[in-house]
Amino acid sequence: MERGGKRGKVSPHGQHPSRKPKREPKIKTKKKVKRDTKKKDMEELKKEVVMNDHQLTLKELSTKYSVDLTNGQSPEKAKEILIRDGPNTLTPPHTTPEWVKFCKQLFSGFALLLWISSILCFVAHGIQLYFNEKSSSDNLYLGIVLAVVVGITGCFSYYQEAKSSKIMESFKNMVPQQAQVIRGGQKMQINVQDVVVGDLVEVKAGDRIPADLRLISAQGCKVDNSSLTGESEPQSRSTDFTHENPLETRNICFFSTNCVEGSARGVVIATGDSTVMGRIASLASGLKTGKTPIGAEIEHFIHLITGVAVFLGVTFFVLSLALGYGWLKAVIFLIGIIVANVPEGLLATVTVCLTLTAKRMARKNCLVKNLEAVETLGSTSTICSDKTGTLTQNRMTVAHMWFDRTVYHDDTSEEQTGKFTKGSETWFVLARIAGLCNRADFKADQETLPVAKRETTGDASESALLKFVEQSYGSVKEMREKSPKVAEIPFNSTNKYQLSIHRHEDGSPGHVLMMKGAPERILEFCSSFLLHGQEFPIDDKMKNAFQDAYSELGGLGERVLGFCFLNLPSSFSTGFPFNTDEINFPMSNLCFVGLVSMIDPPRAAVPSAVSKCRSAGIKVIMVTGDHPITAKAIARGVGIISEGTETAEDIAARLGIPISQVKARNAKAIVVHGSELKDMNSEQLNQILQNHTEIVFARTSPQQKLIIVEGCQKLGAIVAVTGDGVNDSPALKKADIGIAMGITGSDVSKQAADLILLDDNFASIVTGVEEGRLIFDNLKKSIAYTLTSNIPEITPFLLFIILGIPLPLGTITILCIDLGTDMVPAISLAYESPESDIMQRQPRNPKTDNLVNHHLIGIAYGQIGMIQALAGFFTYFVVMAENGFMPLHLLGIRLKWDDPFLNNLEDSYGQQWITTHSCV
Amino acid sequence: MWAMLQTLNDEVPKYRDQIPSPGLMVFPKPVTALEYTFSMSDPSSYDGYIKDLKKFLKSYSLEEQKSLANCTDGVLFEQKGPDYVSCQFPDTLLQACSGRNDPDFGYSQGQPCILVKMNRIIGLKPEGSPRIDCLSKDENIALVSTYPNHGIIDLKYFPYYGKKLHVGYLQPLVAVQVSFESNSTKKEVTVECKIEGSRNLRNEDDRDKFLGRVAFKITART
Repeated sequence: MERGGKRGKVSPHGQHPSRKPKREPKIKTKKKVKRDTKKKDMEELKKEVVMNDHQLTLKELSTKYSVDLTNGQSPEKAKEILIRDGPNTLTPPHTTPEWVKFCKQLFSGFALLLWISSILCFVAHGIQLYFNEKSSSDNLYLGIVLAVVVGITGCFSYYQEAKSSKIMESFKNMVPQQAQVIRGGQKMQINVQDVVVGDLVEVKAGDRIPADLRLISAQGCKVDNSSLTGESEPQSRSTDFTHENPLETRNICFFSTNCVEGSARGVVIATGDSTVMGRIASLASGLKTGKTPIGAEIEHFIHLITGVAVFLGVTFFVLSLALGYGWLKAVIFLIGIIVANVPEGLLATVTVCLTLTAKRMARKNCLVKNLEAVETLGSTSTICSDKTGTLTQNRMTVAHMWFDRTVYHDDTSEEQTGKFTKGSETWFVLARIAGLCNRADFKADQETLPVAKRETTGDASESALLKFVEQSYGSVKEMREKSPKVAEIPFNSTNKYQLSIHRHEDGSPGHVLMMKGAPERILEFCSSFLLHGQEFPIDDKMKNAFQDAYSELGGLGERVLGFCFLNLPSSFSTGFPFNTDEINFPMSNLCFVGLVSMIDPPRAAVPSAVSKCRSAGIKVIMVTGDHPITAKAIARGVGIISEGTETAEDIAARLGIPISQVKARNAKAIVVHGSELKDMNSEQLNQILQNHTEIVFARTSPQQKLIIVEGCQKLGAIVAVTGDGVNDSPALKKADIGIAMGITGSDVSKQAADLILLDDNFASIVTGVEEGRLIFDNLKKSIAYTLTSNIPEITPFLLFIILGIPLPLGTITILCIDLGTDMVPAISLAYESPESDIMQRQPRNPKTDNLVNHHLIGIAYGQIGMIQALAGFFTYFVVMAENGFMPLHLLGIRLKWDDPFLNNLEDSYGQQWITTHSCV
Repeated sequence: MWAMLQTLNDEVPKYRDQIPSPGLMVFPKPVTALEYTFSMSDPSSYDGYIKDLKKFLKSYSLEEQKSLANCTDGVLFEQKGPDYVSCQFPDTLLQACSGRNDPDFGYSQGQPCILVKMNRIIGLKPEGSPRIDCLSKDENIALVSTYPNHGIIDLKYFPYYGKKLHVGYLQPLVAVQVSFESNSTKKEVTVECKIEGSRNLRNEDDRDKFLGRVAFKITART
């Protein structure tokens, strides 16, 4: 500490000798302005990204950035812009130097109280020394011990904290190194820092996008935005403007996301901190987080303790003056009483208790990064949960099928053991199409793993189909070997279908055409349909059945695909040159087979976990970037929207009245769309959060997630937020406790979070909540236990002053009790098992249910403490009496007892005692 | 508490192992530390000491001791009760320091008397022939004489049976007279007294410097 302090004083001169004088005159005004702008910046960052570049035509774009779309801008101009805008990097936030952080740990909250008492001890010792009171150096020892205790605990928590708070570094890891730009008509490889707005950039598969780009050309480009949005599926990118929201439109690529397929060329529209990623990064690292609930509790506790200490101290100060002690003695008594009231061992006890729980939670798959967060989960009253990966298994799985006019259900549990076998002919055809007209494949060397756990290449729905076929039909590899593919048209968003042509399985020279895609598109190609293996022409009855099935499955929030096939006539037998660009084969009058719907199914443990949360009084809110229908379906599936409750839309549909007539009060559940949320003011958001118990936010942006969290916090809730993407990091940081996913979570989200779920399972949060509540209860017990010893420690001193009895318990002995014998039992209370109703009661109200309240202090001091003190005094008087000093004899002999030169102190039996252990 | 007190013996404390061996103490006790400072020419500077001594020795006067027994010298005076008698300790034993011939106890002549006594301990039976040995730290400045001669403490005053049973008990005293050399300019000396001659009376404990010994300083001004 001392060294740090010295360095702090020295460094401005030592390290930057020239800078200081220049800065000094301006420093005050500059700082203020800086703070103001910073505040404004944060507000600005919380707002949605505003850009219109994606709406511009290429020509407008070219004018806006005054750049030639084939040759790029000139290197000179790029240099100018680079000077103007600064390098294309994420600016690290203003970091506090390490020694300041260390001092913060050393002088915060409880530690401060101990420091003050330590200093008071030194003062008291100084007074004694100065006035030549040759009594003892107890105060000196006490002061030193206190300083050592806070020092050690401070170092410990600094070490704990130092491991976290590396958000910015983790962002930096996401930034690519090199970028391919076109300047002055020449392709060149430059450092990413040097990329400027208006640069023409080329990216290809495997590259990281070096800045926010507006695409001007693209060839089969797909990007993986998962780090930004959490959506794990690669999204195709083209030059088309497809959505008003810049985050969803196809023609924008974002800084630090990955290009996984194809290649593209685009104009840089933002660099560094002004990119979408940069905004998130600065938002996440710049957000100020509030105190943890346990931190607030400890502060409250300090207030109480200090109040009691000062009250007692002053009372006895006055009393001792009235009793005729000198003012000097009275001051020393005052300090002594105040110090004696400070529970020296408590800080260490609390830290150890929290550490123990943190370890226990880590065994239950909750890794706690910040010690105080251990308890936060227990006080949580609202959980804003992500959908993908947390509530769901994060893998598309076939859930339903429709063929032969029947809906079949498939097992979607994690193990997926139930094999789907139906004897229908139609089913075999469907399975063959699903297996063959499919570009997904298993990665190599996974034969030993169960099918559901194998990794695949290809997009999520195709993988789901692949796994499904592999499980319920048989080896897809064999199937593909028997009927090799001769031609295919891959899926694209305009066609909305995928087509492939295969050889017949039996080796006959004919070909079969297979197709899958959006159900309504598929049906358009068909003129007949398959029913129990027989072809029938499509009639209205069948069309109605199709419509019903389609809307039923769609209503479940599932992604529905239609399947059809055609046995090509013999004229297209072996050797026919199929051309997929200029289609030279029939593509009509196909035979419709059925529908398959897929969903990312909820994890098995989640529904019970959600209901546990509910019975524990915790509101579970789903916040997802997914579509409302899917979100709602999953919410229903896991119980976030429970069975009996309806949204306004449901009521409207049931009663057949327009939504506007539904009383908002009747609908307990609500699904809020991101675009609605965007237009709401905080008042309206409050209304939603207050009036609805079951809430789903769909299509939300990262900024909105943050707004939701803040909204909940404003209503007094303690909010836990789960998230895995970079986009979640501001919300994770802002939440009272941010929960990141250990498996799927991005580095950034893990850095921003306080707790990491090692198994990504929502159910682990519930165990975390239980542990958190338990530690709160147990800390209460520990503190109550520790506090009780305060009374038996301080009453001897008080009686020493008032009655003049020899001091029954010296300072050093008190230290031994507080830091030695009392600490082990106090810590052992952390192992107490929970009450059986721990998950049935409401979360504690942070305003009223305090860790330490008057009641606890009353019991600890007034009842247990008094009993202990009485027992202590009883023992004291017994021992004294048995050795010759009768209780009444003791009154008032303090002066003689403590006189180091009085060696014939007479006891009640006439014996004379010398002063033992006298210190002169 | 009351019930506990009923279990205690009025006459002898329950535990006596905390004081196995007596300490030494001087009388009169100076206000601060164990330093006697007085001026020969200024009676008010030693008045307090003389008053204390007189008061203390009052119970040792012959008149007061008439009711006490005259015990056999040199042997322990063990008694079976129920009545316990105390042995006489005539102040004449203190000779020059008895205050009989010199009401100033030597203070006005620069030869102050100081009493040294052994702490009372119930049941203590000294072995051998205990005496209190006093030595001046610097023989050139001052000489020390003890009364009774050789500082002998007679065994007949032991054992002590407690305040309640042993009414009128007088504890044996040894007087120390410090005589400054008339030609020495510096009249300041430290005197150390120790119990000697008895195996069970300890006098060399590192922790307790009053256990069986005592040291005091005398400063006499003209």
